[in-house]
Amino acid sequence: MSRKIGETAALCPKCLKTIPAEKIVEDDIVYIVKTCDEHGSWKVRIWEGVDEYLHLYDFAAVQKPPEKFVIDELKDCPQDCGLCSGHKQHTCLNVVEVTNLCNMNCPICFARANTDYKFHPDMDLVRKMLQTVVDYVPSPRCVQLSGGEPTIRDDLPDIVRMAKDMGIEHIEVNTNGLRIAKDIDYLRALKEAGVDTFYFQFDGTRDDIYQQTRGRDLFEIKKQALANCAEVGMGVTLVATVSPNINIDNLGEMIEFAAKNVPTVKGIHFQPIFYVGRYPIDPSDEDRISLSQLANAIEEQTRGMLKADNFIPTSCSNVHCDIKSLSVVLPDGSLFPMTTMALGPPRDTENIAEKTRTEVSQFWRFIEETMDGPSESDDNSWKAFVDRAKTHYLTVSSMAFQDVWTGETERWERCCIHMVTPDGRLVPFCLFNVNNKDGETLYRHQVFRPYAEKIKE
Amino acid sequence: MEYVFSDAVKEVLGKRGLKEDDIKAVIDYAEGSNDKITDGAKNIAKKEIGDLTVYAVYAVDGGNAVVESGYAHKMKVLDIVLDSSDAEGWTYAKNGAQVRKGHANLTYMGATRSGPALVEPTSGEAWFEEYLAASALAAAEGLFEAKRA
Repeated sequence: MSRKIGETAALCPKCLKTIPAEKIVEDDIVYIVKTCDEHGSWKVRIWEGVDEYLHLYDFAAVQKPPEKFVIDELKDCPQDCGLCSGHKQHTCLNVVEVTNLCNMNCPICFARANTDYKFHPDMDLVRKMLQTVVDYVPSPRCVQLSGGEPTIRDDLPDIVRMAKDMGIEHIEVNTNGLRIAKDIDYLRALKEAGVDTFYFQFDGTRDDIYQQTRGRDLFEIKKQALANCAEVGMGVTLVATVSPNINIDNLGEMIEFAAKNVPTVKGIHFQPIFYVGRYPIDPSDEDRISLSQLANAIEEQTRGMLKADNFIPTSCSNVHCDIKSLSVVLPDGSLFPMTTMALGPPRDTENIAEKTRTEVSQFWRFIEETMDGPSESDDNSWKAFVDRAKTHYLTVSSMAFQDVWTGETERWERCCIHMVTPDGRLVPFCLFNVNNKDGETLYRHQVFRPYAEKIKE
Repeated sequence: MEYVFSDAVKEVLGKRGLKEDDIKAVIDYAEGSNDKITDGAKNIAKKEIGDLTVYAVYAVDGGNAVVESGYAHKMKVLDIVLDSSDAEGWTYAKNGAQVRKGHANLTYMGATRSGPALVEPTSGEAWFEEYLAASALAAAEGLFEAKRA
């Protein structure tokens, strides 16, 4: 028995043309079904549990469109993105790719690092991309310097200083950690230049996982990089690409590892594998993990310490794009979750987008510092809880990036994580990276090639 | 009874989101029922108003209630624990009993933890001092609420 619960638009996985799509439910599983007149039909699983899928719409924020659009007229979504005036949500995170070169050659890579062209912008072009952020995104501005592997650039500290001077308040660096594990002076230089956090590739707590995702043993190197971050006081978000065939069984151990490394580790982000760029298979539903599956697996592997119900949508992007929890890490290493779906939709949805951009430190605005009373020895007191929560917290989050099979305009037009292009545009991150089965993209290659050098046949 | 609020007290109340009428209601209730603790000069009284427990710290001077401060918390007291038999210099006006040093377990949005309190075991009453309500309790309440919003 099949029933329709919505309509949207999607992409043909062969020709990348925009095609109509429906969302249907069969046996409590939500599918996206789409047909290209020329190339056929596809049915792809996107969620388990229709009640939860529909209930999440109650968490939708009243979205705040960009104050200025790069493209003032309404364009054909998602073919002519820039952003155009049809986009419904402002930019929260700006991703600036400062190289497509990498010091690894992973079997899985959304960015197709080390491809047949070299995009390695000079400082003038990097400045131009950052200027796009300054021109179109109001303060507070958050930039992720990404790649490829940005730390292969010796001038990355100069880029960070330039960005700060231009008015970028928050800078994170997306890194595999190889260089910062062996070069603490470089790490210090990044810290001193103004890097706020690392978005740190971390696929698991076992080397057999890294062998499959990255092609080599890496766990010891990851630990060394984290030790160096602890030494220089650099905050880190661990980022795991999660595959049902490789590391879905390691979620609980990764969370435990993250909690042990608080406060250096601020959060762990699970990135369900999405099929763009370089990947070794033609994906079926069994090769994917939905957010609902991921949350249930976390509940099982943490033995209920972190329940699926503790994950709520951030409501900044589309409600089916991400989930997030926040917990205080107690002295015994256990998590005290602060978030729960049971509390229902937010009371003030209009402010959600702004709230997601604030730091955890904002929570402490309620404290009147002059009222700080005598110290307490009772570990079970509210004061002990608050004192510890100031530094010992952990976010566990996940974002379901879309690929050519799962993508839909309902989510793209509400996206708040945007790639900054060298030709002065902003494009939703996963849309920018989408490609068909032959490797043809809608944006990535078309955007970067004019600014790139050809490096091999 | 006339109520006296200095500018400094008004500023503190405003910062904490409390109204002068709330404080007046607490004092009215305390003076009418003797449900307050007193050290002979200063009084601390509390009253539930909406979802808040509102406190008034005040002295009675002739027909005037001179308000020294006001604060509030949202957490609910589950039970009290006596830490010491030492008198703290306060008397519960309602029954004349000495107030002791203790703890109370407070619950908010599903979580329960303790906080130091002035307690009177025979009545089971507990009073929290201003420093706790305005720092740890306010921060914990804010943290829970911020994550809901």
